[in-house]
Amino acid sequence: MTPNRVQRGSSKKRRVPLALLIVPVVLVAIGVAILLALRGGEGGGIIGGGDEPPPPFDFIVKPATAVPTAPDADEAALSASAERVAHEITPIIDDLYTNAYLDPSNWRHDDYEEVFTAFAPDAAATAEQSLETLTLGATAGDVFDTVDPGKSKLSYQVLFDPDGEPHTAVVSVIFRATAERKNGTYLAIVSEGEFFLGQIDGWRITAFDVKREDHETHPPSPSASTSASPSA
Amino acid sequence: MSVLPARRRAALLVALVAAWVAGSALGATQPARRASAAPLFQLEPAHAEYVPVLDGTKPIYVLIIGSDARPDQAVESQRADSIHILSINPAEHRAAIVGIPRDSYVEIPGVGQNKINTALFYGGPDLVVQTVEQLTDLKMDYWAMTGFASFEQMVDDVDGLVVDVPFAMNDEASRAFFDPGVQRLDGDNALAFARNRHDLPAGDFGRSENQGRLMVAALAQLKKEFNKDPARMLIWAASFARNGTTTLALDEVLDLAFTGTAVNANKVENVVFPGGTAMVGGLSVVTLNQETLQKISKDLADDGLLRKANVPPSPNEPLLGG
Repeated sequence: MTPNRVQRGSSKKRRVPLALLIVPVVLVAIGVAILLALRGGEGGGIIGGGDEPPPPFDFIVKPATAVPTAPDADEAALSASAERVAHEITPIIDDLYTNAYLDPSNWRHDDYEEVFTAFAPDAAATAEQSLETLTLGATAGDVFDTVDPGKSKLSYQVLFDPDGEPHTAVVSVIFRATAERKNGTYLAIVSEGEFFLGQIDGWRITAFDVKREDHETHPPSPSASTSASPSA
Repeated sequence: MSVLPARRRAALLVALVAAWVAGSALGATQPARRASAAPLFQLEPAHAEYVPVLDGTKPIYVLIIGSDARPDQAVESQRADSIHILSINPAEHRAAIVGIPRDSYVEIPGVGQNKINTALFYGGPDLVVQTVEQLTDLKMDYWAMTGFASFEQMVDDVDGLVVDVPFAMNDEASRAFFDPGVQRLDGDNALAFARNRHDLPAGDFGRSENQGRLMVAALAQLKKEFNKDPARMLIWAASFARNGTTTLALDEVLDLAFTGTAVNANKVENVVFPGGTAMVGGLSVVTLNQETLQKISKDLADDGLLRKANVPPSPNEPLLGG
């Protein structure tokens, strides 16, 4: 009896070299890895055009005000403590605004996840829903070429508990930046408001009230910016 | 070392090229981006806000006690010149204020029948709370208390209270001399406004309502100032904490203050338990209208709010013109 095709196939297996099966798979993997590396992960690197680092930025910080709750508080000691609190919180606000407005690897790719780590859980939920007000916005990468920080200020009021421990800080923020659009026009970014911070695993934002009042502007003069944008 | 046949070498080469092309294509894929037209227009002004107001459905009751302690006296061991229940419905962002006349003749636990204001003298704020709880069947969550000097200071610390004085006042005893209308009262004048009873037709009943009026004014002002400058919240909380005596922790003060900013002050019912006067053992006392007391207390118990139908007439009605 002549064996059918199946029987032939099973009785007369052809030997395919193992290398011929493994090599393409390995090469695909290597290809993907090399390209991801060249592109610097998500959006960075050589081939993908790369995102420049955020421009250096620091808020100008005004002297902090202590708000005591004890009738016989040592105001001098509390003032010094309020300054220390301001010193602790300022990097958080610096990072918040850098992540929200200045870091191209965030705004170019609608990736603002880092922004919300500054918020306590309840406040974070609302903050995430207010992304367009609290950040450069989801479509910023389509609109803007560069964003340069301008003169921005922080002022602090720190509420102390009756034992003289810092309880709540209110940070008043005025943040300014100039964004150059892809069409060559400029937008002045203005974020102004207050953040309440409490101590929840370190200082975190528990309440906020922030307004955005952006407006058209002219190309900035070199002295108007606190830093030069590294991008061309 | 084995040498691959030509066909196999060709197959391997094809596979290699295919792998490189496939890998390149995968690696070159752009990350997904939210599809939308690129807006080249400027942004409209925008606003983002998160205020941690309490939102539970359980009403919050705070007993607010005004001690008649003079500046050199301890506020806890004098008499309670003013007693108010502040009832807050967090979920509905509404509140009610109920004044209890200081001369109300009531049962004081462990003391017996006496004027309610003596409960403070006999057992401090805790006994006032027990007395009010027994009277109304409402469980107070917190109490807060001020004396004359601390009340004045509290008002001065927030730069005065803007009060709509409902009618002219001209009372030498309390030094309350006011024209009707909206005006900012400093601590001294706010205290005079709160103490005046001699030129009010219903005496202490009318005074209790005016004290509630100051609380409503404070609520309205806190909200207004917070909306303009949220940092003012700290000034108000600190003023309360510095000058008041309370069971509220600072966290709770802030929670209630944030919640207060959501309350519509215009809709706060400000009432006083009605009653009449009587003489008991040579004492001039107030006998509360038990039916109205029960009605108001029951109404507050379910949701912390007072229905219009249960709002008694204002004791200052003759002066308010209807």
